Amino acid sequence: MAKLRSEPEDFVRPLRRVLVALLVLALVALFFLWRIDSPRVERFRAALVDRVLPSMDWALVPVTQGAAMIDQFQSYASLYDQNQELRRELQQMKAWKEAALQLEQQNARLLDLNQVRLDPKLTHVTGQVLADSGSPFRQSVLINVGARDGILDGWATMDGIGLVGRVSGVGERTARVILLTDTNSRVPVTVQPSGQNALLSGDNSALPPLEFLEKADEVRPGDRVVSSGDGGMLPAGLLVGQVVLGTDRRLRVALSADYQRLEFLRVLRSHTLVPITDAGALVAPPLTPDGPDTAAALAAGTETTSGANPNPDAATADPNADPSTETDGTDG
Amino acid sequence: MAEGVRGNAWTYRVLFVIVALAVLFFRLLPTGGVAGDWPGPDLLLCVIFAWMMRRPDWLPVWLLAAVLLTEDMMVLRPPGLWTAIVIIAAEFVRARIALTRELVFVAEWAMVAGLMVACMLVYRLVFTLSFLPQPGFGFALVQTLWSILCYPLVVGINRFAIDLRKPSTGEVDRFGRPL
Repeated sequence: MAKLRSEPEDFVRPLRRVLVALLVLALVALFFLWRIDSPRVERFRAALVDRVLPSMDWALVPVTQGAAMIDQFQSYASLYDQNQELRRELQQMKAWKEAALQLEQQNARLLDLNQVRLDPKLTHVTGQVLADSGSPFRQSVLINVGARDGILDGWATMDGIGLVGRVSGVGERTARVILLTDTNSRVPVTVQPSGQNALLSGDNSALPPLEFLEKADEVRPGDRVVSSGDGGMLPAGLLVGQVVLGTDRRLRVALSADYQRLEFLRVLRSHTLVPITDAGALVAPPLTPDGPDTAAALAAGTETTSGANPNPDAATADPNADPSTETDGTDG
Repeated sequence: MAEGVRGNAWTYRVLFVIVALAVLFFRLLPTGGVAGDWPGPDLLLCVIFAWMMRRPDWLPVWLLAAVLLTEDMMVLRPPGLWTAIVIIAAEFVRARIALTRELVFVAEWAMVAGLMVACMLVYRLVFTLSFLPQPGFGFALVQTLWSILCYPLVVGINRFAIDLRKPSTGEVDRFGRPL
């Protein structure tokens, strides 16, 4: 600027104005590029964040911990009351634990009887939360695991209890998790006792609403909401939360995950499901060597009935799915 | 402040970058709000207007563009849009430096408030026109109101910390040129 001022103004000013206009045009063009080809720009953004934030790790983590300590120090005042309350809750929990253990044993026996094989492919990677979205209008966090740890876009993320969000944007050392409360988040869910399917769509509030409920009157506040696995994005059956009735009379979901303190997140390694290409493949097995056998058996008559059929089905479906995961198959 | 330091715009440009990075750093800390909390002020916007009103030579356009574009990238805004809007607003102020030098503070505050609201409205308008999902109008308005309320505070802090004020009549820089 200092140099510009010494030059004749009537020459410099229009030139400067043109340059500023060009700069603004370039920025607007960047915005349109982002709007048209979002994935490319978002990949660039992920790479940039990946480059910058882990190097700020040394400062981010202590300051975060310091702030958390101040928070906890303030709660010392109510420590005694809290302790009493926790004791009471512990008493109740013991009763529940007893019930849960019995149910678990019963469940295990029943599963054993039915020869149900739980999905062994749900292993997880745990990451620490590095940073926030930095904006009050976007709900996402950055965790310190990334492509280096095998994280892929679209994987589900949980804290200890419930679903937190979905990985969207993976860098080499970091990954961004879009929380369920973000305005861009849409997750297919099932409301449990009634089995109604709905879409949980974030709206930047603490209680995201349920949309596209088929029969809203079958859903009551207090019902459990789990992920439905529709669309193959998230594994089915992950706990999301409970239905509540919002102040605007809409059915909303109180999330089970503790959004107040997201410190460690668990990224579920869900492998891509094998897509069902045609309707026939669901009923009869595809053209595998034993395919004609079962088809013939079905055609032959009713003597080989339901008792025999499911077993060859399971035998042909399993090796197709993913043989590599058998080695690290610890249940999530 | 020594006269020699005061004359050097580069010191302040570096300082601006440091302030912007500090603001960004504290916003990125994962201590912050849950969804549905009321947003706080946009401090960087306050700093930009406060400096632009007083010493536009400290904030060249390229520096503004670089800092704002970095912020866009880090806080997940659509890249370029907010940068372009703020640059237009800043250039608007820069072009009226002769006017703003005469303004009393209340009038300056009103002008900044108008500019902040206009920025927010244009930003949301573009969002609507390009079919992007956006949070409720109330949220954006609360943030803008917070920024407007914080503006005098930011100006005051700058006045005490780095002696930021409008150049008085006849003041000259290090090389003896009128400001």
